[in-house]
Amino acid sequence: MPAEEIFYLPLSELAKRIETKKLSPVDLTQLYLDRSTKLGPRFNAYARLMPEAALEQASAAEKEIQRGHYRGPLHGIPYAAKDLLAVKGVPTTWGAKPYADQTFDYDATVIEHLNRVGAILIGKASMIELAGGMGYRYASASLQGATKNPWDTKCWTCGSSSGSGAIVAAGLAAFAIGTETWGSIICPSAFCGVSGLRPTYGRVSRYGAMALAPSMDKIGPLARSAEDCARVFSAIAGHDPKDRSTVPIDKGAFTYSPSLDLKARPIRVGWLTNAWTKLDAGVAKALLAAEKVVRKYFGSVRSATLPDGPIEDAANVIVAAESAASFRTLIRSGRVSELADPTGQIAGYVNEQYSAADYLRALSFRELLQKKMEAVFDSFDVLVTAAQPVPATLLEANLETDISFPDPLGAIGNLCGLPALSVPCGFTENNLPVGLQFVGRAGDDFAVIQAAQTFQLHTDWHRKHPKIV
Amino acid sequence: MNGKSSSSISRREFARRAAIASAATMVPVGALAAPSTSAVPAITQTPDSPSLSAEGKAEAEARYQAILAVYSTRFSETQKADLRRLSYEAQEPLDRLRAYPIANGDGPALYLKPLVEREKKTEPAVIPHAATAATTKP
Repeated sequence: MPAEEIFYLPLSELAKRIETKKLSPVDLTQLYLDRSTKLGPRFNAYARLMPEAALEQASAAEKEIQRGHYRGPLHGIPYAAKDLLAVKGVPTTWGAKPYADQTFDYDATVIEHLNRVGAILIGKASMIELAGGMGYRYASASLQGATKNPWDTKCWTCGSSSGSGAIVAAGLAAFAIGTETWGSIICPSAFCGVSGLRPTYGRVSRYGAMALAPSMDKIGPLARSAEDCARVFSAIAGHDPKDRSTVPIDKGAFTYSPSLDLKARPIRVGWLTNAWTKLDAGVAKALLAAEKVVRKYFGSVRSATLPDGPIEDAANVIVAAESAASFRTLIRSGRVSELADPTGQIAGYVNEQYSAADYLRALSFRELLQKKMEAVFDSFDVLVTAAQPVPATLLEANLETDISFPDPLGAIGNLCGLPALSVPCGFTENNLPVGLQFVGRAGDDFAVIQAAQTFQLHTDWHRKHPKIV
Repeated sequence: MNGKSSSSISRREFARRAAIASAATMVPVGALAAPSTSAVPAITQTPDSPSLSAEGKAEAEARYQAILAVYSTRFSETQKADLRRLSYEAQEPLDRLRAYPIANGDGPALYLKPLVEREKKTEPAVIPHAATAATTKP
């Protein structure tokens, strides 16, 4: 068994070793598979491991590289994908019992893109059932059961990309693909102490991904650093005729260069003063320290505020109405009762009751909000605050009643399709990670990556990982 | 803070990641140096909730009854109580959204994206031959 550190190497280092033939993709894949087989069940991190297919892919990658055909920085790199992305011939459960035997005969576009650059899919990551589309009350709302946080197995990873967060945090794969409709990349990234990118809406094709709220669903990477996220993002971004919500060809692609000059474009930072009404004491302490780093290394840092209005209300109406449409067959058939969570079993019936007039009103509010946020981004390139106001929560917590807090930034970011990147920025006294999020103007994914990379250049929180024995 | 934040939000948040619960100590922003031990209270709308207007209560109850009218046999008594609670919790956010001033000309963020040429299936150009066209007429 190699030193544990190999499981936490950044993509740049893994790629360098693979390109120079110092590290075999087959060996690396086998190492991650062995670790995932041993530790995956401890965290409920996977819906399914795919050892045979993964080793076949790895062998093909190795042969190509031996022949001198190196495809780029993801060639031979093992990863996991949230179990709502179609993989040809492999069960895709959407984390939910009614779909436990579901299989597609095609690959999601994201999987195709990653195949094309030679990445190795080693497994499907566990997730909250239907990505939370029918609501949920407990962390156990999953076909795979509650995903346990590698930093403290008494705590949750957050959802709905639960397994994706656990896999990266526990060093079970080099990166993972998650999705977000409202918080499902940013929150697991924060709770698990990893870096996670929620791209601009429409930047990554959802073809082959489970639809929850089609006007808000997004796909993005969870990885060891902002730079690693950028590398994965550059492989999966781009226009896709099969997903007509993707942005046009000339605006879809993202190019990442490791030689990126972080000072080439001065970043104007807006430090948010009203994103959270209350913060956990440990989060507050880490945030204060992070603010000092930001103020020291970014040229322009000024206070910023979010606009007013029924922001979360509009987001709730849109998600409720669209999810009711997405899962109407499930609701009408009554099989929604097979979901694991007591709220998930019934909330869809309420979602069905929203009127088209209220849905359209929410969309009208969204349009106004987009304009307001455009105005905010005339003054700032990124907005910064804590990714979550609390650290990882207890597995058995009742998510509906125990604590309530407003999350206008999460609602704004997802209503307006804004890119965001959460990076680790410290720990609480209980050694639970704290996340810092950078949010940018729609289409300016580069700004959040640049800002997060700059932060990570001057901190080493992203290099910490849980001690797993 | 946004206009509604102090009234907090429903915890029935579809698709919401965290819907976070914690036993953590919370610190009011703006007083970070003086940690507070106060937890944010959970908000639960009930049929007796004073924050709903009579019309709001009627609408919430109608929502619940509409569900029962179609699916009544599917639910246990506990689930019915939960459904009723959820039906009422949905009301206050709707009332806030409807109260927000939106003008008639404020269009929804909704658009039809017509198929552009490159997304259409390429079909071979057909130039009908006069004689052929004549013979295929009914």
